[in-house]
Amino acid sequence: MTEKQKTSRAATDVGGTFTDLVYFETNPVNGKQVVRAVKSNTIPKNIEQGVMNVLKKGCVDISQLETMTHGTTVVINALTERKGAKTALLTTRGFRDTLEIGRGNRPDYLNFNYQKPAAFIPRHLRFEITERINHQGQITSKLKIEELDDLVCALKNGSIDSIAICLLNAYANPVHEEILVKEIKQRCADISIVASHQITREWREYERTSTTALAAFVKPMAYQYLTNLERSMANNKFTGQFYVMQSNCGVSSIAASKETPITIVESGPSSGFLGAAELSQLLGEKNVLALDVGGTTAKCSLIKDGKVTITSDYYIERSKLSAGYPILVPVVDLVEIGNGGGSIAKVDLFGKLSVGPESAGANPGPVAYGKGGTDITTTDANLALGRINPDYFCDGEIVADMQSVTTKLTELGQKLKLSAIEIARGVIRIANNNMENALKLISVNRGFDPRDFTMIAFGGGGAVHAAELAMEMGIKKVIIPANAAVFSAWGMMLSDVRRDFMLTKIQTWHDANQSDINLQLKQLLSEAESYFSEESINFENCNLEMFIKLRYQNQEHSLEIPLNVLSVNSKVIAQVTQNFHENYLREYTYQLENEIEMVGYHLVVKADTGKIDWVKSELKNTSLGNAIKGKRDVDFGLHGNLKSTIYDGDKLTAGVSLSGPAIIEQAGTTTVVFPNQKVHLDGYSNIHIALN
Amino acid sequence: MRKFDPITLEIIQRSLSSASEEMFATIKKTAMSSIIYEVLDMGTAITAANGELASSGSGIPAFVCALDKAVMKIIDKFGFDNIENGDIFLTNDPYFGGVTHLNDAVLVKPVFYDNSLIAWTANIAHWNDVSGAIAGSMSGDATEIFQEGIRYPAIRLFKNDSVIDSVMDIIKANSRMPDFLHGDLWAQIAALRVGEKRIIELVDKYSKSVFVESINQHLEYGEKVAREVISKLKDGSYHLKEKQDDGSYLSVGIEIKDCEITFDLTDAPDQNTGPINLSLDASTLTVQMVLMGVIGSRVVGNGGCFRNLEIKTKQKTIYHAEEPAAAGFYFETMIRLYDILCRCLAENVAEFIPAGGFSSICATILGGVNADTQRQFTIIEPEIGGWGAGKDHDGINAMFCGIHGDTFNCPAEVAETRYGVTVEQQSLRICDAGAGEFRGGFGVTVDYRINSDNSFLTCAYTRAEVPPWPLNGGESGSTNGIKVIRVDGTQESYSFTTGLDLKQGDVVRVETATGAGFGDPLQRSRSRIDDDIKNGYVSLQYAKKVYGY
Repeated sequence: MTEKQKTSRAATDVGGTFTDLVYFETNPVNGKQVVRAVKSNTIPKNIEQGVMNVLKKGCVDISQLETMTHGTTVVINALTERKGAKTALLTTRGFRDTLEIGRGNRPDYLNFNYQKPAAFIPRHLRFEITERINHQGQITSKLKIEELDDLVCALKNGSIDSIAICLLNAYANPVHEEILVKEIKQRCADISIVASHQITREWREYERTSTTALAAFVKPMAYQYLTNLERSMANNKFTGQFYVMQSNCGVSSIAASKETPITIVESGPSSGFLGAAELSQLLGEKNVLALDVGGTTAKCSLIKDGKVTITSDYYIERSKLSAGYPILVPVVDLVEIGNGGGSIAKVDLFGKLSVGPESAGANPGPVAYGKGGTDITTTDANLALGRINPDYFCDGEIVADMQSVTTKLTELGQKLKLSAIEIARGVIRIANNNMENALKLISVNRGFDPRDFTMIAFGGGGAVHAAELAMEMGIKKVIIPANAAVFSAWGMMLSDVRRDFMLTKIQTWHDANQSDINLQLKQLLSEAESYFSEESINFENCNLEMFIKLRYQNQEHSLEIPLNVLSVNSKVIAQVTQNFHENYLREYTYQLENEIEMVGYHLVVKADTGKIDWVKSELKNTSLGNAIKGKRDVDFGLHGNLKSTIYDGDKLTAGVSLSGPAIIEQAGTTTVVFPNQKVHLDGYSNIHIALN
Repeated sequence: MRKFDPITLEIIQRSLSSASEEMFATIKKTAMSSIIYEVLDMGTAITAANGELASSGSGIPAFVCALDKAVMKIIDKFGFDNIENGDIFLTNDPYFGGVTHLNDAVLVKPVFYDNSLIAWTANIAHWNDVSGAIAGSMSGDATEIFQEGIRYPAIRLFKNDSVIDSVMDIIKANSRMPDFLHGDLWAQIAALRVGEKRIIELVDKYSKSVFVESINQHLEYGEKVAREVISKLKDGSYHLKEKQDDGSYLSVGIEIKDCEITFDLTDAPDQNTGPINLSLDASTLTVQMVLMGVIGSRVVGNGGCFRNLEIKTKQKTIYHAEEPAAAGFYFETMIRLYDILCRCLAENVAEFIPAGGFSSICATILGGVNADTQRQFTIIEPEIGGWGAGKDHDGINAMFCGIHGDTFNCPAEVAETRYGVTVEQQSLRICDAGAGEFRGGFGVTVDYRINSDNSFLTCAYTRAEVPPWPLNGGESGSTNGIKVIRVDGTQESYSFTTGLDLKQGDVVRVETATGAGFGDPLQRSRSRIDDDIKNGYVSLQYAKKVYGY
């Protein structure tokens, strides 16, 4: 590596509308830091061009970059838009239809005409092969490799681009899958292959098959996209480390990401929550409810002791109306609801008001866009209440059509005999209630009292709703991070290389199994070690966290209990047992005397990417000075309509204090401060709102 | 501001619905029996102080609609004066608010605020074994309820937030699987407490009067919606009589006048000497489920919907059985009644109801000793099958029947580990049946190879002789059944059997039906037929024969 004057890093986050950049450089001599955050339009047909554009717009010298971290919605978009490869499935004889049978459930249980989500791979592209491995991992029927001939023929004649291989019980022993991968690779060099064991070692054949099918479906496209991006960067003399943001709040090398791109399915949200976790550690506010409000959805996640929770219980398109599709990859434990700035408010025939999940999107968008939207959205209601500035809408890029907003609000209100303002308040209260219920799912539902948590709110819409939501839930403090609107990209800079290894292994959690457990721990560690050595990362420098999934015997669902060591003895087993009982009691109000059973391991391995150090500004300038833009009437719902001070947030300096009622306007986001709430800016320019 | 702000009332409603979901999730995460945590054979709900369903609840509709009846029975039996804070009640008896059969245990908890009863939290879940003549308690040979297990006729289980030990001892002593039962019972208790906690938080925040008003208004809303939906159905008097597998006939009458609807179930066979009887509560629940389906929205599914509903029955018939009639396999009569009601509506007034599907619980019970662990196992599961075609879509493949809901099948990998059986296949069962402009969906074939001697099979399948009914000129579907393929290759067929002996190496083959078609098969679009042939859903021969391909 050549000697560099400064160390610099970039993170780019591709969203549906915008591509965000956060750029960060430190001068090693004087420690001076420069941060730049810019946005440019996403170019759907040529996403890598959009990325290059934003780097240019941010004046990034690509040849000097030490790392480039990239997050993208291309995988989730390919899934939701069904724009993936022509994909085939190879599975154990007798299980061709697993993908189509699913679990047979009907979430919309009163609907006579419920439609099951259609299988990603149609029946004529699902093939069977004779083989069988039992649940203990023993081969009970030999793999008939000669049966591949027909399949290979079909693959070659059927213009198939990608194949998913998922065999029954492969979670217990993947040997047949491994043979098939090798064989097909040899015989059909052009075909992209994904086998289930490369992604997950968890049981349940439908869930694993679905995971593999979706992974194979997106792989060729994502592979191509990442390759193109790599090439564009190389053409600009990039020589640094290229990382891709994963769904588990970590990053992986671009090479690893190209092999199993399904793991980047939630890369955007995961980096936001990781950012919130890192911020919580920096500020010493270690228990956090993180809320990310975008245009069509709101997402939230609970951060405990400065850490995110990762699970593999992840679905796309699942709702009360649809069974969705499971993807068993490690994803940050989040709850997502169809409730963002563009969510539509409706009153039904019988006078019930609802907000979302339907969204006005970017086109026609909210009524205020004046692009022909006729449905009132959350954003319109916020404008009508004066919370979002009608005279500086979308950073002044759009003139808000307030006349249409008033007309449409009046029409909506008439259905409930409410005035335009009353219905606008109602829309916000319902939208807040939707978010409140989502926040309860991740807190109270799991035995945590939200009053013990700080809220960190980001995304374009987080700061508008945060203070009111916090009041409703008895939360005492809200933090709006600096650069809240591009916080996901910001979070990417803070990510470690991270890999989650999950293994299903059912046995009694008991002294008698000590040696088995130690053997399994060793095996898992060596699997992790070889993964990281392939990534050219020294395993000795990695940070390891081991969790044991435990439950009372006969139960199905388990709790993850940390194991603070990497081998067990009687003392460790007893301590973990006690921790399990205590956790269980907190979560479910009772304990049992049954034996404790372990279900499997969850190993988290992290390698530092040389993260940035945040430098704190000195808090000397406490004058509000020219940050005050003026005053306007703002409707605070139940707190009345109050003359409020409007601040230009980008002109507020570290250390200043102010109090509500107030509105703080910044590029891409607006913070609403209620009466009697106290605000101060910390040394990193995060906005802290203290509630009574 | 008005006394009751509509937005606040709405928010309370949503919060109740979330609380019910949370109760459901709690049971799922803590229960011990796969019929509960995997299959999700359970339901949760919150009721008003008088027992009316305050929100749609969660889980199987047949179970949610059972809970209001349990609460009402307990109010009736104990009287408001004798119901106290810290009580929990238990019933499993169809003749005492338990509605279904003895295996389904209902737990309910009154919620108090400032010393007054403001709501109830309730849940129901299937217990593996509650004593009785045979393992699993459900016997096809039962002639009286006494042979089907112990009866808990709406009894108190908790007082002052503490379990009454002697009652708990009786419960545990009356099960062949006391550990499972104990774990499942505590899961249900945890859920009751979660629901109660959420309700109290709501009242703390909004006050008692606002909370009560919210429930009242929501019930009125349900009533209004139901009236509106019924008033749109064509007035008239409709009847249907349908032949059953055993050669008998079941019939129903439906009368619609303005916004009132009456279901006449009086023309019914005498109560059965076998275990297929419905209590009055069970028949009421069936009718209510059909009505909820016609209304079709989860949001409004509450007790208010039932206020304009009249049901006529005759005592001592299978729709209104009296003790000690056996009810272990009540569900096959329930799904038959549900199916006839749907058919009667579909053929006369409700074109949005699809043609007949496999429409059976297909209860399959396999038991024995797990060959790997030497521990006793019992598989109790409903099966998935093909649904009938609708007026604009093909029937759905492989889904649980109409009285089930968000119910899950058991993965082969889980079954093999837990029970020591080998699942040799789990595939769509393609039958030459159910043709139409829109064709019926397919059922499944599931093969279980039994790996130890002294195992047994109990099953209860209907639609095993008389296939699903088509609409508008479509073809009938195929039938449900179970085959046992012995080691020597001989095959036996069953639809109802109890305790059939199975030996190591026998294969139990579950086969569920294809749903019926909608519309003339000759009207089916060429592209749909091409697609069917390509995917192997329809054979070329069948396509030529019925679709004129």
